[in-house]
Amino acid sequence: MASISIKVEFSGGLELLFSNERLHRLTIASIVPIDNHTPKSEEIIEGETKLVDVTFLIHYLRDNLLKERVELFMENNTVRPGILVLINDTDWELEGEGEYVLKDGDDIVFISTLHGG
Amino acid sequence: MSCENPATDKDALMTPRTKFDKSRICVKCKLNLGNIIIRHAVYCKECFFPLISARFRKSLEPSVNPIPDGPRKKGLKAAGNLLLGFSGGLGSTVLIDLVWRSYFERMEAEAQEEEKRNKHGERGEEEKEKKEQRGGKDHPRKAKVWKKTMVCYIETCGAFPGMKDRTEQTRSVLDRYKSFEFMPLRLEDAFDESWWVSVGGRPKAGHLGIDITNEELFLSPSPSSTTTPNNPLTALRTYISSLPTQTAIPSAVHTLTRLLLLHTAAAQGCSHLLLGTSLTSLSVSLIAGISQGGGFSVREEAQEEWVPIRRSGGEEKAKEQLNVRIIRPLREVGIKECAIWAWWMELKVVGRERYAGGRQGIGALTRDFIMGLERDYPSTVSTIARTCAKLAPKEGSDGVCILCERPAQHGVQEWKSRISIRSYKDAGVSPPHLASSSRSATSAPILPSFSQTNHTTSSQITDSLTPYLCYACHTTLTSRSSRGTAGSSLTNGKSINESDKENVPLPVWVTAGIRDKSDSKRMPMGDGEEDEEQIEGERWRTTRMDEGAMKGVIGEFLLDE
Repeated sequence: MASISIKVEFSGGLELLFSNERLHRLTIASIVPIDNHTPKSEEIIEGETKLVDVTFLIHYLRDNLLKERVELFMENNTVRPGILVLINDTDWELEGEGEYVLKDGDDIVFISTLHGG
Repeated sequence: MSCENPATDKDALMTPRTKFDKSRICVKCKLNLGNIIIRHAVYCKECFFPLISARFRKSLEPSVNPIPDGPRKKGLKAAGNLLLGFSGGLGSTVLIDLVWRSYFERMEAEAQEEEKRNKHGERGEEEKEKKEQRGGKDHPRKAKVWKKTMVCYIETCGAFPGMKDRTEQTRSVLDRYKSFEFMPLRLEDAFDESWWVSVGGRPKAGHLGIDITNEELFLSPSPSSTTTPNNPLTALRTYISSLPTQTAIPSAVHTLTRLLLLHTAAAQGCSHLLLGTSLTSLSVSLIAGISQGGGFSVREEAQEEWVPIRRSGGEEKAKEQLNVRIIRPLREVGIKECAIWAWWMELKVVGRERYAGGRQGIGALTRDFIMGLERDYPSTVSTIARTCAKLAPKEGSDGVCILCERPAQHGVQEWKSRISIRSYKDAGVSPPHLASSSRSATSAPILPSFSQTNHTTSSQITDSLTPYLCYACHTTLTSRSSRGTAGSSLTNGKSINESDKENVPLPVWVTAGIRDKSDSKRMPMGDGEEDEEQIEGERWRTTRMDEGAMKGVIGEFLLDE
């Protein structure tokens, strides 16, 4: 199955939820199930599929890397309010938010603004 | 719910507004592709930095000079020093960075360059002259806006057992800013008389406590003052644990922090105290503050000028004291912009641990609501701040609250007793859930009784703290929750002793304020004795007249015996 390599970074305290690591290099499948579950390595995906996008990545991070406190990262199938997402140094709102299709070499940053002022 | 108009489509949904207007090109330079959306407007990375810097300076600079500039703009020159409040959070991290880049970065770079040249002995006389000719050594461009700049961090872990101390982490983050002096304080300093003396307060005999179980908040000497020296950390924890609701705890911590910063600023000769409250945080604090009864000081949330009380050191020292302008220069900058600034500038954010038990408090719920608004309807957040800026209280102030030192409204207690029933005794009915046979005159009311009292002016001495408090502070200390007190969550599930609640320690400035009012009370006199009293800045001397002198003055009006 074709796969892509991407870089994922966490900032603003989010790294504490992900083993205290700011930077993660991931290799993920380029075709994924439409329900965003993480397929097992040799699993043949049944049902509808889609190109891997940011929504899948968020679910992937929750299911595979998040160590604690899911509610501090995800809410209603997307990131919790107060978490910004940058795709290649650009606001994800300019790139289509969760529907942005990931490409090999993309740099995704999740920044939490919940530390206040 | 529908409008019952048969012509409408009942299943129609409101079309969501697009995240950005027009195109993906930057609205400023109209050349580059945008990198960030700020309230529906697209900006590229190059235009983002000057945009944020401009907003920061626009919010700060009109308040720097003691007298605002007229039509002819002069240079910036503050009356005193500068204190930057630093919480470790995103806003204050960005504030420090913006202040440094705007007013100190170039001076530091020039100083470093000069040091290098001096080290290598490259400076000749010719070069020296050239340098001075570039505007001269007294050119306004080279003048510092503030003589001295300090960053004050207040560690709050003392109030919450188990919370991490971040003082050293904060110190290391601020090391890169060579022009700023780091001043760490601790929240328990608010109960420490040695800190109070260090900021110019007069040492007072003993401490005072309040009975927090009674809405009158009766004052009494703190038992610890008569035996062992007061332990500030214990006093702080008792104060926080005695508060009646989860909402009250972050509010109380916020007030203590603010007053610690203000008194430190005054003691350091500062004319300005800058805080890193972003537009988002400001909107949160406005709504949360209004929800807790702080509507009277809505204007002060955005910007205020604090007048410090006269300190020890005589008239000369008092004249030198400056009013402190509290400014929030990031009040036009959203939390999203702050986060992007911190990321692109590679700033290290220490973070700010909030009180975990306050998740169901008004502050936390408001924050969740506003954060949701900012994501889905970003313009509404700025509308909150703009609308609140237009508000002004209907009635004037009756003085200053002794706890938060903000303007206090007139007739607080009278109004409170008119708008709510706070005990069955006030309503004149018996508790309905008790059987008639068990109802008796001696049944304790569910809430502490609060007899109607007329508002007393601050010049009258009472043995109660209530008349000296604004509505918001009184509510913080007395508003009850059906879920029980907040204290149990701080003392690991064990209830705080009832006896501790009857003598809750007060912050040092409150005790000092009460003592000052006691000192100004007129004492009874005998014949021929004089008394001096200070009323509204004027000294009045009163002498008791003897009978003969009195008869001489009123003799012509007396009836014949």
